[in-house]
Formats: sequence, structure tokens, C-alpha cells
Amino acid sequence: MVAALKVTGVDGPLFKRALLGSLTWLSANHEEVNRLNVFPVPDGDTGTNMLLTLQSAVEDVKESNAAEVSKIAKLASHGSLMGARGNSGVILSQIFRGFARAVEGKSSLTPGELAAAFEEAANAAYRAVNKPTEGTILTVAREAGRAASTAASSPDANVPRVIAAAAAGARAAVQKTPSQLQILRDAGVVDAGGFGLQLILEGMLKTVEESDPAFAALADVKKPALTPAAQVSLDLPEGGWGYCTEFLIEGTNLDTERIRGQIESLGNSVLVVGEPELVKVHVHTDDPTSVINLAGGYGKVLKLNVGDMSTQHKRILESEGAAGSNGPRPNGVGIVAVVAGKGLVDIFRGLGVDAIIQGGQTMNPSTQDMLNAIESVPYGEVILLPNNGNVIAAAKQVLGLTKKRVHVVETHSVPQGVSAVVAFRPERPGEENLRAMKAEAERVQTIEVTHAVRDTRSNGVKVKKGDVIGLINDRLEFAGDDYAAVVKQALGKLGPDGYELVTVYRGEQASDAEMTKLESEIRTNYPGLEVEVQQGGQQHYPFILSVE
Amino acid sequence: MKRTFAVVTDSTADLPVEWRTRYGIEVVPLKVLFGHDTLRDGVDMTSDEFFTRLAASTSLPTTSAPSPGEFAEVYRRLAQDHDGCISIHIGARLSATAEAARVGAEAVEGFKVNVIDSQTVSMPMAFLCRVAAECGNLDEATAAVEQRVPKCRVLALLDTLRFLEMGGRLSRTQAMIGTMLDLKPLLLVAENAEIKPVDRVRTRSRAIPRMVEFFRSEMPVEAVGVMHAQAPDEAERIAAELRRELPNLEIPVGQIGCVLGTHTGPQALGLVYLKK
Repeated sequence: MVAALKVTGVDGPLFKRALLGSLTWLSANHEEVNRLNVFPVPDGDTGTNMLLTLQSAVEDVKESNAAEVSKIAKLASHGSLMGARGNSGVILSQIFRGFARAVEGKSSLTPGELAAAFEEAANAAYRAVNKPTEGTILTVAREAGRAASTAASSPDANVPRVIAAAAAGARAAVQKTPSQLQILRDAGVVDAGGFGLQLILEGMLKTVEESDPAFAALADVKKPALTPAAQVSLDLPEGGWGYCTEFLIEGTNLDTERIRGQIESLGNSVLVVGEPELVKVHVHTDDPTSVINLAGGYGKVLKLNVGDMSTQHKRILESEGAAGSNGPRPNGVGIVAVVAGKGLVDIFRGLGVDAIIQGGQTMNPSTQDMLNAIESVPYGEVILLPNNGNVIAAAKQVLGLTKKRVHVVETHSVPQGVSAVVAFRPERPGEENLRAMKAEAERVQTIEVTHAVRDTRSNGVKVKKGDVIGLINDRLEFAGDDYAAVVKQALGKLGPDGYELVTVYRGEQASDAEMTKLESEIRTNYPGLEVEVQQGGQQHYPFILSVE
Repeated sequence: MKRTFAVVTDSTADLPVEWRTRYGIEVVPLKVLFGHDTLRDGVDMTSDEFFTRLAASTSLPTTSAPSPGEFAEVYRRLAQDHDGCISIHIGARLSATAEAARVGAEAVEGFKVNVIDSQTVSMPMAFLCRVAAECGNLDEATAAVEQRVPKCRVLALLDTLRFLEMGGRLSRTQAMIGTMLDLKPLLLVAENAEIKPVDRVRTRSRAIPRMVEFFRSEMPVEAVGVMHAQAPDEAERIAAELRRELPNLEIPVGQIGCVLGTHTGPQALGLVYLKK
């Protein structure tokens, strides 16, 4: 073994290098993480989500030459929070947050302090989750922390050994995840998020060891092809379109409240978040120069990005049926929804949704994307509809990041989202709307039809890769080789007598013949049900059905 | 004592047939045009016949107000044995009928006609006619009716917005339905014949209780009725429910006429009332 680099403590530059190493290692292996998705549907791309979150964490770190580990950790915490995507990304951001808290005020960490920070990182992640599930990234984080602490208490403890122990602890915990979670055992895989965390720790280890030639060769690894950045379509008030101006201010004792107050006089959709050393600013203004001059008075302006919004404006004007543009709402409540598929976007817009965040099953939008959309609507109170189980956690992260009152109605599917927004009344106060929207969302049943992406077993159903599968309310219930037959079974299971209307949202992949067959199968077998077909245009799901 | 003034309305009042004789109310028909066929609402065509023809028709019918001349004819006839007339009509924002009545009345010299813009449509107009018919003289009747005009409400549950939209009376956006989804709009025709969206519901069985619930929030009422277009059973069920709650009110069930039906389409339901 090549001699390890002489490392006595973890300072800012070392931690920065370690994070960059994590990014390199996760970049090289994220597809592997994606392939571990246990759910037999094109799921939330855990590897990609974690990679995007880590990229966002490191992006801010790269620009800093801070000598103190605390500053780098804080940047990583903040960056990961702003870029968190998907459940595993959100948990990862909480891990960074816990780490940053634990090292606050420290310029360099002893092996013992590093281990304690790993443990605190895991604790923070546990606290952030409503119902922690063992056998996931949480367990892996905790086991990594424990292993690190054990190594730190040994008399010959040093930093590389603590990191090595954390990585080994993570690896062992990942191997054990199938024994903790039935769903993993059935599918014959380990937990994807946990494996992602293991890769992050291994990447750190490889950096401090600087000994692995294979790793060095990866240093210039190509960035993965990222999913298109989630686009936010806005309905801003007339006038004042101007420029979308975004940048970071690096300085000392930055007062976000004060900066926000000053920038608010120069534009709208103002977003100022961050820490005393780094503040992120987002504003729509006609006068970007004044905004930048103002910011320059506080510190160094970084990553300046000024975009002309007229192109986007034009696109919005061309989009039809924006029922939201019907004058200001009496209750002052806006609605923001996460939706993908042209038809579905039109449907949600037509129902009065003010801003759409493009995203869903395979493209989980980040907390930042959702935050931008929320800040863009001209209301102080906003209802956010995630419309996908994998987006809910990231949606909830938004709550602490804006001055607006944000409510997340936890819609797990497109039909739930439609039902919720249909129940919205512009003259009714926010709280009452929330109750009504939640009740309506819970009333509707969702059937999703797609193809299995791997051989697996779930909920007692055995499926082969490529099979047509039917999910009722996110649970795999039926498998077969025909859409119509699977839908017929699913409706039979729900019991058609209790329902009145089936709305079929046709996906991009469904052919005319398949659509006709499905429709006639429902009408023939369940004559008591009304059938309505809508062009959803969603990917991956040839059919989504709403049953109510 | 015989009433000395006449009470006139138009066919959009959906006046219960027996009220014509019970209260002595004259009804002037509006018209429905199917292509080149012009049919007088409720005279040449019943509501049932209209909806049968509507279902078979490839294009939507249009509607038109009575002419001033037709009103003049009616007022001239009534002038023979009355000394005045109150003429209560569909909201001027919705139809030219009240204007035609005003012009028609000017053509009949020496006969006083008080034309009332009811600012509403359907049976609330019939309630206003009943109020007028129970008054002792024209001035009293006019005052009593004018005082109630702002209290008229029509709460309408449409099975589809298509007909109202085609007739140009309301856009999907105004009805909070700027979408391709087939939603059931619940609309309120309030003061000044202003059409306001109240609710939108995905299925009919859930929409009906919402309509009744909204009506309860509007109580107390002086009068209430249930209207329907080809949905008599549902209308009767709603009326029976309300009769239990409001035992002192008559609560008639009426059919939506041909002209109004052109805009509501079939399967529409309505709760019509005068707020107290």
C-alpha cells in the first residue's frame, strides 16, 4: 500500500478536496445506483438525484478558498439544500446540514471531532424524516457514524482511518439493507440511497489516501448527461418583466433580511437566502446594474447570471387557457404544481395553477426549482402540489426557505393533484381550501399502467422486465402483457360499483389502437362507469387513470 | 275584489302552468330558432319536445326576444279590462326582452306599463309575479317587486358548460373551468344578472349535495323552487329534502323552458330563490 498523505486534521482545503473526490466517485458510479431502484417502475433515479444534489453542494464549495472546515461545510450544507432533488437528495442535504452544525466554529477537525460530526450528520438526517425507515440511507449514515467513532477511540486513530472506517461501516450497512427491508429482499437488491452514501464516503477516502490509480484516472470524468433543468413557467403580473438576476454574495456578517429589504425596492420575486458568509440572491428586475452595485457593497458577487425574461414571457403568452390570469384572487392564495407532459400541464394551467414546475416520476425537481416557482407567483400564500410520492420530501423542504406562507398538499399522483386543484376556491381562505383539497385528493383512486424495468417481486406479484404492470395507489397489484387487461383487473379490484367516473390520461407511448381497446374494455365490462379520455402526454406511463 | 292591474312576464320565468290561472299572469313567449324554424317558447314547443329536438340537432339553436310589436299587442289587449300593468322580464344583461317590452309599452297610449328588469332568469321571476299579483294596486306591486329584485338568485348546476359557452353568455375561464376536463360547474346568477362561479365538481352525484349545501348557506329565503332540464327525479328528490326543512314554503318543481334550455343544455338542475 502506498503511504497515505500526511493528514493530521480536516481543515477547509482538505474537506473541499474530499467533497470533490466524492463527486468524482459518485459521478462515475451513479448509473449503478440508478439500476438499484427497487420499485419495478422507472423510479426517481436515486443516483442521478444524489449526484445533482452533491453537484450543487460542491458548486458553491469550489469557489471558496476558506481555510476553515466550518466554512466549507456550511457552503456544502447550503448548496445541497438549494439543489436537493428527490427523497435521497433531501436526506443527503440534511446529512450535510448536520455535519455543518457539528463543525460550526472549527477551523480543523481532530479524528474524534470528525467522527462526532459524522454521527451528528446521521442524527440530523433521522430528525428530518417523519417516519424513519431502517434499511435505507438513514441506517447507512448511522452505521458509518458509529464505525467512525469506534475508529476514533482507538489510540492510533488518524483522519484517514476514521474516514476508512466510516466507508467500511457504510458498505457493511448497505449489504445488510435487504435483511431490513422486505421490498429490497424481494427485488434482490441493496438500497440505492444507502449505496449512494457509501460511494460518497469512499470518494472522500480515495482523496485522503491519494493512492488509488484507478481513482486518479477518473479525476477528469465526464459529467453525466443531466436531465433537462426543470423549467418553471410563470404567470407574472403585467409589466416589470425585465431580467431574472441571480448571484451569490460572499462576505462576512451578511444580513439576509437587510439585503432582501433593499433588493425588494428594485424588483419583484425577490429571494435572498443563505448564511452570514454566503447569500444567494434571486430577483426579477428592470435594472440589474443597480442590484449588482448594491450587492457589491456587501461583498464579492459570484456566479452572476442575468437572463432576459422576454423569451419566457412570450412562451407563456402563447400558451392557452391560463385560467389563473383572471385577475388577482380574493383569498390571495396562489397554486404551484409539479407536472410533466404537455396535456397534463395544460390541464393544470386550465384549472388555475399559477406556476408549473416541470417534473415528476423520472425528473424530480429540486427544492430550488420549487422555491423559484413559489417566489414567482404574485401571492404571499402558496399551495404546492408535488403530485408524486418522490417529490413530497423535496417539496416540504421549501417551507423554511421563503417568507411566503407555503402549504404542501401531499398529492402522490396526477389524479390526486387534479382533484385537489379542482377543489380550490379563489374566494375561500387558505386553511379552508387546504382542508377541502386534502379531502378531495384522498377521495380519488389512482391506477397507473407502465412497464416493469427489471425482474422483480413486489407485493406478492412476480414480474419480468418489460411486463405491463398496474399499480393502484402506488402499490403494484397486477402484471400482464396487455394494458386493457391490466386496467380491467385493477378496476375490478377497486370495485366499480363504488365509483362513477373514470378519467383516462393517455401517455405519450399509448397508440390509438391501445387507447381504443382500453376504452372499449372499460365500457364493456363496467357499463355503470362514465369514461373520459384526456391527452396527458406523460412519459413512462402509457395510462394513468383517475377513479372517483 | 278584482285586481285592477295586469301582471305580465315572459317565457323565461318558467312559471308553473297552474300559476297562470291561480294568479292571473300573462306570459309572452321568447323564440327558439332551429335553422329556419322559429318556435315560440312553451307555445309551439314544450320543454320535452325541445330537448328531444336538441339531442337530434346537428347545430345548436339560437334564441330571440319577443318583438316590441308583440308586447304592444298584449298590452293593448290587457288595456281593455285593466287600468295598468306590471311587466316583469328576464335580466336586461341576458336578453333584449325587457327593452322590447319598454318600446312596446310606449306604443300603447293611455295604458300605464311598469316594466321591471328582474336582473335574473327563471322561476325567481315567477316569484316576483306572485308577489305583484298579491298586491292591491300597481304602485304597491311595483314597490314590492322592485324591493325584491336584488334578492333573486339562481343557483345552477350544469351538466356541461358547452351550451352556455356556445351561447356566448360565459367563458370557461369565467366559470373557473379553463380546462379540457369535463367539470360540472355550479353557477350563481346574482344581482344585476351577474353570473358567478360557486364551485366546480368532477361528478354529478357529488355536485348535487354541494348545490344544496350552498343553498343552505344562503338561507333564510322567502321563496324557493327547484328547476330541471330532463332530470325530474333528481329535482323531486331535492325538493322533497327541502320541503322537510322548510315546511312552510310551497317549493314548486319546474321544467327549464326552451329558451333557457338552449343555454343550460340537458340535465341542468337549479335551485331558485328569493333571499329574505
